[in-house]
Amino acid sequence: MHTSELLQQYYVDSNTWDEMYRNDSVREQYRSVVDFLQQLSIDELNKKEDLAKRLFMSQGITFTVYSSGEGVEKIFPFDIIPRIITAAEWDHIEKGIKQRLKALNLFLKDVYHNQFILKDGVMPVDMVYSCPHYLRVMHNFPVPHDIYVHISGIDLIRNSDGSFYILEDNLRTPSGVSYMLENREITKRIFPDLIPANHVRSVTEYPTILHKNLVSLSPRQIANPTVVLLTPGLYNSAYFEHTTLARLMGVELVEGRDLVVDNHKVFMKTTTGLQQVDVIYRRVDDEFLDPLIFNSNSLLGVSGIMNAYRKGNVAIVNAVGNGVADDKAVYSYVPAMIRYYLNEEPILKNVPTYQLANKEKREYVFSNITNMVVKKTNESGGYGMLMGNSTSEKEIEEYKAEILKAPRQFIAQPIISLSSSPCYMNGALAPRRVDLRPYALCGPDGIEIVPGGLTRVALREGSLVVNSSQGGGSKDTWVLAV
Amino acid sequence: MLSRVADSLYWMSRYMERCDGMLRMLKINYAASQDDMDEFSWVPALKLFSYMDDQEAAAISKNSRDVLLYMVIAKENSNSVLNIVTKARENGRSVQDHITKEMWQCLNDFYHMMREENISDWLKKDDPITILDSLLKQCTVYFGTMDVTMARGESHAFINLGKFLERGVQTADILDVKFSALDGEYDKAADTTYWKYLLLSISGLELYLKTYRGGFEAANIVEQSVLNGNFPRSIMYSVKNLRQYFERLRSDKNYTSFNEVMFMIGKLESKIKFSTTQTIVKEGLSKFLQETKTDFLEIGNALNKNYFAYS
Repeated sequence: MHTSELLQQYYVDSNTWDEMYRNDSVREQYRSVVDFLQQLSIDELNKKEDLAKRLFMSQGITFTVYSSGEGVEKIFPFDIIPRIITAAEWDHIEKGIKQRLKALNLFLKDVYHNQFILKDGVMPVDMVYSCPHYLRVMHNFPVPHDIYVHISGIDLIRNSDGSFYILEDNLRTPSGVSYMLENREITKRIFPDLIPANHVRSVTEYPTILHKNLVSLSPRQIANPTVVLLTPGLYNSAYFEHTTLARLMGVELVEGRDLVVDNHKVFMKTTTGLQQVDVIYRRVDDEFLDPLIFNSNSLLGVSGIMNAYRKGNVAIVNAVGNGVADDKAVYSYVPAMIRYYLNEEPILKNVPTYQLANKEKREYVFSNITNMVVKKTNESGGYGMLMGNSTSEKEIEEYKAEILKAPRQFIAQPIISLSSSPCYMNGALAPRRVDLRPYALCGPDGIEIVPGGLTRVALREGSLVVNSSQGGGSKDTWVLAV
Repeated sequence: MLSRVADSLYWMSRYMERCDGMLRMLKINYAASQDDMDEFSWVPALKLFSYMDDQEAAAISKNSRDVLLYMVIAKENSNSVLNIVTKARENGRSVQDHITKEMWQCLNDFYHMMREENISDWLKKDDPITILDSLLKQCTVYFGTMDVTMARGESHAFINLGKFLERGVQTADILDVKFSALDGEYDKAADTTYWKYLLLSISGLELYLKTYRGGFEAANIVEQSVLNGNFPRSIMYSVKNLRQYFERLRSDKNYTSFNEVMFMIGKLESKIKFSTTQTIVKEGLSKFLQETKTDFLEIGNALNKNYFAYS
């Protein structure tokens, strides 16, 4: 029943799963929050929204946009209404992600060593060798504990039937986890007592688990190995995240210019001379990591670091060369990997994916293009994407020509209608589309996922694109204990 | 600690100290300008804290509002409060994991405050002292936050090295400009307001009145602002702190570097310790202040070479 002013304009699209509403009644898990919100006046809610903005600004949870020679501080838009996940839903997600990561790790080890999966014909050979992120330098190099994906941010979406689908595996340098942590802190400030009253599980363990895993990877068996976080620097849009994680773990935040390699060991330049580095959590992409091996113009990396890595003198997290496993074309083989390596049925489904390198599939996609989203296999962040239902015919034709030039670089998926979640918009709640990115940590003790994640939300009405570069925002994400 | 981090902490701190000194100076000068607009000139202040040449300074030196706008919020003035605070914050931003969250928030808030529109309104139309006071308060909050939240480790030591080196240079500079304006005839300034405002701009008037009876005398002012180790803006106080904080960096790993810088600080400290107002005046106050300033800057260079060089 739409009883209050707040909910009067809440119209759910009939083809969409809504996280809060079901047949015009509020789902169990949202009831207590909705009751609470209804007691507040619009004025109070506006004040809370304002407070949230001010807190982000004053804590410097911002990124800088440079225009006309001057930096302007922007905050990543935050919606004050939490996204709620039930204990049962979380249980399913957690199991599914663990299973998937286990298979992906085995795949990476296999593909850089014996390549059984290719020899057994489960996956076409050219699928791997045509991937730009497949790195020969990683061949036959045993990474510590056989772990490639230490940190992942796997994107999930929810179709109209309510079931979760994997949209993307981010296995290289996934970002956004600081927003999972900060959004929770902000909710604590703007809605006092609401979190304990709803038995929301805590996310604060994340930096502790990550630090524990990083320390355990040290090649030197010493009491206090030196762990560093390697950032591209102040001008990177995720710089805030890098400083937050370094602070929360108590590790040194370094830039490429702070490190130097000598005799295949990595050192950092300190006020008391050189100090050996044991573990590097890098937030610099493979391509820029070592100018001697990869992009020789890179100033972000460290010359010689790959040799130190291959000699086993330093651990790099995530491993180098993971891009072959989260490539958008390889993605469609992940269910096959799960069956091949684990002999299990995938718990979480893949979105059906068409390889445009395949002529028949390509023709099918071209004739149904208005129901398709076409993506570049090696791009992320919502760049280079075509939404068939909202693009002009001329643009579609241009894009098709682009595809025909290099079909391996493209995949298509049917447009999945993301689930919607209530957002506070100008004095009322309105449904907006959301996805979910939980962060999984893999260490020698196994895979751990803090109960929560980043819910990204497409703040524009009707939009299905949640990427922050395309007008997306985020929400605090609650996993309920009961 | 990373050399780059030490460098950023040191500069963050130097900029904040400069900001504080500058705001004090602007406030007192503005107050002085309200006493006697005919006699008063902004030229000394402009020469101290901006890169203007004599001609440019003279051109706006009779217009307090223009000077304040230029010194506080002008984007084109690389030494304006706005730009100094921006630089302090940028340095702080790159070492957020080495300062406390409280300190970072304080710098960040100050930065956002400097970009608010109402500052220029206050400077143009209303009482400038009100806005200068609230900016000074931000500096005070920064110093207090540092004092109560920062652990007494290496970060704290580098922050204080920057702070006291900047302060020592600043006091030497202010004294030099103010005294050289009198061309050696220190009794010429029979007008007590001249000395009063000099003392006020280094927050030393109250101490002076309590210490010395019988009006203002150049020799006493030199004694307090150069030699008195208990006066927080004296040169002696800055050098003493510089030495104390530097001693904390003593380590087996960088014996040579430490000794090189320690020698320079110790030499400067001894020089001041074994001076009297008589010997200073006899040798020439201006020469003494110039040399002191050079000594400070050379200590800065030595720190840079031995501790911050990372490229």
